[in-house]
Amino acid sequence: MKVYILPLLLIFLVSFRQKDVPHCKFKFDHYKALKKIPEPSDIVYDKETGHCFIVSDHGILFECDTLGNIIRRAADEGQDFEGVEVKDSFIYVSDETPRKVYQYRKSDLSLVKVYSVSWGGAMNRAFESIAYNYTKNCFVLVSQQPATVVEYTSDFKELGRYKFNGTRDISGARWHNGSMYLLSSLDASIIKCNATSYEGEEFYQINVLNPEGLSFDAHENISITSDDLQRIYFFKNLPTIK
Amino acid sequence: MKKLLLSTFAVVALCNVASAQFSEFADNPAASQFTLSSENNTLQIGGRVSAYYETRFLKNDTNYQKKTHNGWDFKDIDLDILGKTANKFVYEVHMSLIDLAAAAATQNTANPANPGIKAAYLQYKGWPVHIKFGYDKVPYAQGSMSEIWGTPFWSHANLFGGDLFSRRDLGLTLNYRFMKDRINLYGGAYTGMGENFFQYGNDGSGRFEYIGRAEFSYPAKMKYHIIDQENSPTPVFRVAVNARYADKTQPKGYSIYADAPSAPGAYGIRIIDGKRTAYGCDAIVKYKGISATFEAHMIQLKPTLATDGLYNNTTTSKNNNVVNAGGFNTGINYNWEKKHSVFSVMYEELNTNDLYVGLQDWLYLAYAYKFSGFNSVAKIEYYIPTTEDKVQNPLHYTGQLRVGYQVVF
Repeated sequence: MKVYILPLLLIFLVSFRQKDVPHCKFKFDHYKALKKIPEPSDIVYDKETGHCFIVSDHGILFECDTLGNIIRRAADEGQDFEGVEVKDSFIYVSDETPRKVYQYRKSDLSLVKVYSVSWGGAMNRAFESIAYNYTKNCFVLVSQQPATVVEYTSDFKELGRYKFNGTRDISGARWHNGSMYLLSSLDASIIKCNATSYEGEEFYQINVLNPEGLSFDAHENISITSDDLQRIYFFKNLPTIK
Repeated sequence: MKKLLLSTFAVVALCNVASAQFSEFADNPAASQFTLSSENNTLQIGGRVSAYYETRFLKNDTNYQKKTHNGWDFKDIDLDILGKTANKFVYEVHMSLIDLAAAAATQNTANPANPGIKAAYLQYKGWPVHIKFGYDKVPYAQGSMSEIWGTPFWSHANLFGGDLFSRRDLGLTLNYRFMKDRINLYGGAYTGMGENFFQYGNDGSGRFEYIGRAEFSYPAKMKYHIIDQENSPTPVFRVAVNARYADKTQPKGYSIYADAPSAPGAYGIRIIDGKRTAYGCDAIVKYKGISATFEAHMIQLKPTLATDGLYNNTTTSKNNNVVNAGGFNTGINYNWEKKHSVFSVMYEELNTNDLYVGLQDWLYLAYAYKFSGFNSVAKIEYYIPTTEDKVQNPLHYTGQLRVGYQVVF
């Protein structure tokens, strides 16, 4: 029997070490069920209106109050909405399966334009989120696996790709106060990243199952959507890691 | 023993090389799957290649020293094409090229229950009830519905591996989910010929096999993944019941045993000339990398002819025109993500005919080292028949070891 243990030990010895980054646990304050929004996959807070925009895996864009109550929904639908961002007077939505970005007008949620973006990986491991990087003045789309940040111009011409090694996947992204915050679903974590290099600087372990979308409100509180649980989780401000 | 030692070292060496050789997978877990998009269509091309060294520890029987299970073997050479359209159609064709090659070379006599087509269906998801027509896994038994490549094991356990009931069939499946997908209902009508449909077509009875399954998951829906790769921060579980029924009583003058001799399978109970009812339950719970599974099945067979071999020459007063079979399977797994490791233990008991004396008990031990999730993984599996059914399934070995590597692309 010793013969069988030997290869196990040898395989085990080649295990990889994870990079040490500052980390802490970060628990949600409360949550709310989103009964009328099926599989909410991303959320963004709009400072101008004080509203949230939430997208559903079913290809629907919703405008909601900060508690997730629906105010209105867009008439034009997609296939598999996974990411949403507000920039100026427009809302940008990432449709994962067909690799498209929808541009909606914020005032009436009418569809303005559809952009095609390229990602060759697995059908449902593509662009899980969209965010605007105000540090570098570009859009970023993040692919789930392999975890990659892809930068785009305002008319979605690709600028560059940055591989992210901090977690096994990325399911959400949001720029806030000079940093890019990434969200990992598989590792249930928020990662504060350098907004230029996208290297992880701080690591927050959260107690949410399958987190998908991340947003900061006017008071810097965090909201996270979970599509499997159909809930929105409310967190306080990120703690300081000592 | 020396051969085994050398081979395991060779595989381990390959695994170590693999971190460099398969660096694209280590660095790029899903880049190996390719997706093409046009205006209204998305097509994904993927596949899987895996192979292992296998050895069976033969008994000290001088009359049986055949070592066909001591050497290299392929597990999978699979190709998969999955498409989605903007108007909510899904289609998939999944082929096992190794099984297609074996079927072609042997006129499908080598392994008739693995004909080489694993899925070929069309599904419409535009209505609340999803409709699927074609050939695919049937919604019966958690262990069968769950993919084995996403575990440290090399093959499904005996209970749900296809010898007691078919795992795939051609037919129509309806699926309805509600309460945030926590309740998941399946119903379908199938040929009842299972994997043997490609060899024999429909049977002579002209009747379907009907299958139904009801699941409840909490607090969220669950996919058919046995390992807790998410290291679930809160406990999640699913419980399910399922049943299937077929009346395959053949018309006068015909016999399914003559017309489709390999369809009844190793124990003669996958399809019978008569009525067959199976029902079972299963459960899975996941929490912080640990997952535990359980499932049990009962099969009630009512062969038409009193002379049917399933009755084992017993009188009607003894057998009451009923033969029972079934068993249970339970397992526990631990996903140690920091060490890229998964450990699994599984135990099962089978009784493939209650009119014969004998039970089978099996213990499975397995370990996987994930270079890039289960997309690039080294796996080792050892299983032992702890109780042998010397009448229904006499064995020439006391255990079996498989060590190998798997790449999903």
